[in-house]
Amino acid sequence: MIGSLGLKLARFAVVLSVFALWEVLSRTGMVNPRLLPSASDTIAMLGQLLQRASVRSDLAVTASEVAVAFVLAVPCGALIGFAIAENRYFAEVAKPLLFFAFSIPKSIFLPMFILVFGVGFSQKVGFAFFSTIFIVIMSTTVAVDSVKTEYLTVARSYGATTAQTAFRVYLPSMLPVLLETVRISMIFNLTGVLLAEMYASRDGIGHQIATWGENFQMEQLLAGVLMIAIIAMTFNELVRWVETRCSHWRT
Amino acid sequence: MQPLANVTRLQPASRAGSIQIKNVGQVFKTSTQSVEALSDVSLDVKPGKFVVLVGPSGCGKSTLLMMLAGLRKQTSGTILINGAPIVAPDPDRIGVVFQEPSLFPWLTAEENVEFPLTLRGVDKAERRRKAQEALLLVGLDGFAKRHPHELSGGMKQRVSIARGLVQDPPVLLMDEPFAALDEQTRMTMGDELLRIWAATGKTVVFVTHSLTEAVYLADEVVVMSARPGRIVDHLTVTLPRPRTYEMLSGDAFGAMRDRIWRHIRKSA
Amino acid sequence: MTISSTTLRRMIVVSLILCWEILPRFHVIPELFLPSLSSTLLAGWTDAGEYGHALMVTLYEVAVSMVFACGGGIIAGAVVGSLPRPRVLIMPMVSSLYAVPLVILYPVFTVWLGIGSESKIAFASIYGFLPTMLATAAGIQTIDPQLLIAARSMGATLTQRVTRVIIPAAIPTVLSGLRVGGALVIVGVVVSEMLISSAGIGYLISRYRTILDSAHVFAGVLLVLVLAVAFNAIIRFVERRAAIWQTGTHAGADAAGGDAPAILPATA
Repeated sequence: MIGSLGLKLARFAVVLSVFALWEVLSRTGMVNPRLLPSASDTIAMLGQLLQRASVRSDLAVTASEVAVAFVLAVPCGALIGFAIAENRYFAEVAKPLLFFAFSIPKSIFLPMFILVFGVGFSQKVGFAFFSTIFIVIMSTTVAVDSVKTEYLTVARSYGATTAQTAFRVYLPSMLPVLLETVRISMIFNLTGVLLAEMYASRDGIGHQIATWGENFQMEQLLAGVLMIAIIAMTFNELVRWVETRCSHWRT
Repeated sequence: MQPLANVTRLQPASRAGSIQIKNVGQVFKTSTQSVEALSDVSLDVKPGKFVVLVGPSGCGKSTLLMMLAGLRKQTSGTILINGAPIVAPDPDRIGVVFQEPSLFPWLTAEENVEFPLTLRGVDKAERRRKAQEALLLVGLDGFAKRHPHELSGGMKQRVSIARGLVQDPPVLLMDEPFAALDEQTRMTMGDELLRIWAATGKTVVFVTHSLTEAVYLADEVVVMSARPGRIVDHLTVTLPRPRTYEMLSGDAFGAMRDRIWRHIRKSA
Repeated sequence: MTISSTTLRRMIVVSLILCWEILPRFHVIPELFLPSLSSTLLAGWTDAGEYGHALMVTLYEVAVSMVFACGGGIIAGAVVGSLPRPRVLIMPMVSSLYAVPLVILYPVFTVWLGIGSESKIAFASIYGFLPTMLATAAGIQTIDPQLLIAARSMGATLTQRVTRVIIPAAIPTVLSGLRVGGALVIVGVVVSEMLISSAGIGYLISRYRTILDSAHVFAGVLLVLVLAVAFNAIIRFVERRAAIWQTGTHAGADAAGGDAPAILPATA
């Protein structure tokens, strides 16, 4: 068995070799460097981009859209999810409809948001909200269902109040699933914002990436892709880290 | 489950197997140390006997059974069944029933029983006929078309026994087959197994944790100790057959169970 | 008096459809925001030829991408899922990669491959690949190892273990991978057509959007919805056929319209 340190080193080596391959392909001219600028050039460009005021303001726009959509979608979705999961009759009525809504592609409704809101902040936030909320509702119902009835029965038989049940039974049992919800809904949310920006927008990093693509500015384009990937993966790993912290009691 | 009538007619007590285990040892090696799981185990089983292996957890009784099944290789010693060594699974000589029924969920009860025959390319009519016989033997002839998830735990284990018997092997190995069942089902299944055994005359090697089950079922009980696994006692159960529920509270039964328990307590 | 949940649900669906027709008709909602059902259908009907042609382009791209995404995802998932070392090494990296919003890769493909079908196929293939791979790898790991041991005890050869145990056991997983990956492929193709292209349903939607012809936009959206729902229904039908043996709980979840715990982005 390889140790966990060895495993980390091995993963690091895999990532490193991908970048090395990228560098070699471009440097040796096996792939046209105009189509694939070298890894080192791309990383250097990424550094430059982060210095630029315009890129920074694009990032700020995107970040604010992501944050607003997230702050709206997660609590709304969680509340609806709770309401559905807690009421049996309501659940029977709503669940099939929700499953349906969940399974249809949301991206194709993007033009609707432009027709309704025009091009701007509210359209992008609206679309991101729309593409995130269903996954939050779904995951919350799953999270509530994951609370074992035995625990509730035990709590009730020892005379727990409603508040005590909520904070001492529901919350700890659901925490891992809720964090998972946060993680996955962020993936949806980010995709929603970036797609909306790429489709029709005047600002935001998604818009910038689309523009670089249209102008064949490969170095900037790849640096942008790299930047988004790093941000998304960092957030993802952060939530995962908290997840493992919080669910240490899970075997 | 139907009570079983004249099954003896269907599956004549044909071939019973003999088993010789000679000085078998098993050593597990890890990078830092080696652990002796079985040490110098020797055992002779006469054809048609019902032998039960008992012992504390980790005494290697299941390991020994897996070696008899050809699923695992011993480090030293030899195992002969009907005089020939066991080097790989040999469904001609050995049928195996596991603790989990291990039925293929996508096959019906009947198809599960046919499975060993399917593997050997037996033609369909022949397969069907043999599977029907085996299912009748275990009292499930009405359930041939059911899938495993439509059967209770006891019924699944019956299908698994039918699968073990379908090729009419001289030896049937059973690895804690009733451990996952509830007490009542377990008792019923014990009686059913004895009936099937009497009808077919197989040699049975049966592993269990339950002392009561061991004495109730066995001709001979082999008691093993842990670290390293070795045989510490080998007793012959003198109770008459057929065994009945009343025997459980008799003195003879209690004395044998106590004798086994003393060995196990010492070793655990 | 209470009405059954199914009745209420039907009433909700019917009233939603009615609202879709009535609210725009009476200008409660502007037709620019939401064209009525009838005008949407009419728009689709009058330009059926144009939509049909676009549908052919989209279907072609979906079909080719499906081969790459699902074929590649299933094979890669099966390999990674069944080999422990690569699994431990790669799986966490893959699921981390999964967090990246892949849509930003589309401009890269348009630079490399142009705005024709090739860039759509490349993008949709990548889009569908990861979830299919993750689902398949997870499913392969859920195969009960005991089934393989049982098959071995019955003398199954390696080939027989693959064809008679591993493949049938993996079918439900592969199908659900196909369902998830296929849905993403459809989304990937349509979204990339919406972004930059000169043909396909996504292109039609975008073109009518720029001239603010809501009815034609909606007709295109409706067509994609029908496509996605039909694809989902077909796979579910096959799933139910193939997985008739699966446990009751699974069938129950299916009846409710999906596997609740399988939180995979069916659609982004």
